[in-house]
Amino acid sequence: MRLPIRVVFDQRGEAPKRLTALVPIVSVLAALFFGAIFLLATGYSPIDTYTNMFSDGFASSRGVTDTLALSTVLICTGIAAAFAFQMNIYNIGGEGQLYLGMIGGAWAGITLGDHLPSLIMVPLVLIFGALAGALWIFVPAFVRSRLGTSEIVSTLLLTYVASSLIDYVIYTPDSFFRNPNTSFPQGRLVSASAKLQSFGDTRLYPTIFVAIILAVVLYWVVKRTEFGYRINVIADSPKAAHYAGINAKRTTMSVMLISGALAGLGGAMLIVGPYGKIEPSIVNLGYGYAGIVIAALARNNLAAIVVSGILFAGLRVGGEKLQISTDTPIHIGVMLQGAILLFALGGEAFRRYKIRVVLVRAVTT
Amino acid sequence: MNDNIWILTSADSIAIATTLILAALGALFTERSGVLNLGIEGVMLTSAISAFLAADASGSIWLGLIIGSIVGAIMAAIHAVLSVVFRANQIVAGLALVIFGTGLANFLGKPAEGKTVTTVILPLSFGPLSDIPVIGPIVFGQDIVTYFALFIAIVSSLFLFRTRPGLELRATGDDPATVDAQGLSVAYIRIRYTFIGGLLVGLGGSWLMLAQSAAWHQASTTNGLGWIALALVVFAGWRPNRIIFGAVLFGFTLQLPFTLQAEQITIIPSAFMQMLPYLATLIALIALSRPGGRNLLGAPKALGTPFVRDER
Repeated sequence: MRLPIRVVFDQRGEAPKRLTALVPIVSVLAALFFGAIFLLATGYSPIDTYTNMFSDGFASSRGVTDTLALSTVLICTGIAAAFAFQMNIYNIGGEGQLYLGMIGGAWAGITLGDHLPSLIMVPLVLIFGALAGALWIFVPAFVRSRLGTSEIVSTLLLTYVASSLIDYVIYTPDSFFRNPNTSFPQGRLVSASAKLQSFGDTRLYPTIFVAIILAVVLYWVVKRTEFGYRINVIADSPKAAHYAGINAKRTTMSVMLISGALAGLGGAMLIVGPYGKIEPSIVNLGYGYAGIVIAALARNNLAAIVVSGILFAGLRVGGEKLQISTDTPIHIGVMLQGAILLFALGGEAFRRYKIRVVLVRAVTT
Repeated sequence: MNDNIWILTSADSIAIATTLILAALGALFTERSGVLNLGIEGVMLTSAISAFLAADASGSIWLGLIIGSIVGAIMAAIHAVLSVVFRANQIVAGLALVIFGTGLANFLGKPAEGKTVTTVILPLSFGPLSDIPVIGPIVFGQDIVTYFALFIAIVSSLFLFRTRPGLELRATGDDPATVDAQGLSVAYIRIRYTFIGGLLVGLGGSWLMLAQSAAWHQASTTNGLGWIALALVVFAGWRPNRIIFGAVLFGFTLQLPFTLQAEQITIIPSAFMQMLPYLATLIALIALSRPGGRNLLGAPKALGTPFVRDER
């Protein structure tokens, strides 16, 4: 069966500049519109909901600092995802690498903290977190580069393993990472020297600058260095890369390890920042998965992730406060995140193709 | 040691396996047509809550299953439109569907929190057969959906490898250009099977909700079974009959930690037991992607790539 109409997609040579900026904006608006219809249908006021979300997420001083605080980790998982995605490597296990980053960071913070000053300790925790994240992606990276094993499935499977690992280190009675002084299972605090001070009475930590600087530096690496050039060639055409003598195995391996390290760094930032310990509820927050959305919305542009990361953090902060201020379920925030991405993906087609609908006369046989 | 608990474990594994068979078959049909839908978890979750709400409002468990399946198909249709019509990146579209589905399900599930389904799907009665020791409760102690899932899996195998539409489906996933040259619409076939896949995934989610959990536990209702279903398709090498075997195996390893805990066998911490099925899949995945094992895998060649006819 064929429909009497045909949709013709004409590939554009180069996407017009105005569309590049317009598509993300329109998709956010379209998702908000869709959400509004949905809210109306379920008996909530879309205007009140959005006003509250906006003021709680972006327009109050508490909201702004909370949004920036949350964006710190989201920028990390966002660049982790984008760094691999740009080479068509789909590390979707940033979530698990983030957990490992927490474990690695907490280990360093507990073990080494008493002997070293903060100036050394904080970077050390971050480095250990990054290393743990890289370690967690090592097997998927190795088998992807050597055997071509799908990294999508392998990184995902390891996320479930990592989530069990978090359970293990917190709920096992004599666990090293468990607070020995409380009967209620919770993480053991890292040494005071492994913790940063937040700005004033906010929940915002200086790690936000590390995240932003990393995003910009990596943007530069991809655009301007030889390593970035190799990534771009492989992404465009693995065959061309092969003929150009680029070692795709090694580049794949490096890119995946860096991606894992970035997600792990995000986890360690939670240790030196707000948590100071392994927080088992992390497995319900989905910061790693959110990174994928943020990367996709920024079309894997590492610098643009700073913007999409802050936008998403705001949506979430606004969404979470919603339940307190009104009676709207907080999940509207998560739903909107998904909807924005779905619309952005649809909109992407309008950027890449000129779309025409033509009528086709039925062919009689 | 109590023998009964092992019989119960086996019976429970088959129960988990039912959801896995349905969801994995759904994913299999989708992937055989060349579309990769990573959004299974989100589809299942949305179906589960829809089934709950429908069953709760109407008092009919069957209506719940039907509504849940249809919602699953609608969710899959979103993916089909994005990946087939708009040629979007299927991986990102699938993940977007997980996030969207999770948010939507939790949003819709707000009024369901703390409620339970009043009626449940009861096991079929085979009279004296169900009383046979050991075999009775395992083989004859299941409900109709479990038998239906097994039936569908066997029929799917015949459909895929013994019929013309089955051949067309496989060809669409392997070599869409040839299918197109035959005068068939690649887009239509892909949309159709993504839709049918969603129907099956939805049934799996609805059944899990109504026959197994009976209460809405937000995202823990499906607890990653959708993702496992995706791994299971790889494990089964995109073959329906192997899905039955894999699903029972996965079901057993998922159920084992609870049994060991109940039996107070603590040699292996339960957290490590929970990791087992995932690690087993990972090892199988790696082993099957060895150069020698690649033909055993049998992934559709055009999986995840949009079809664009060369019109010049």
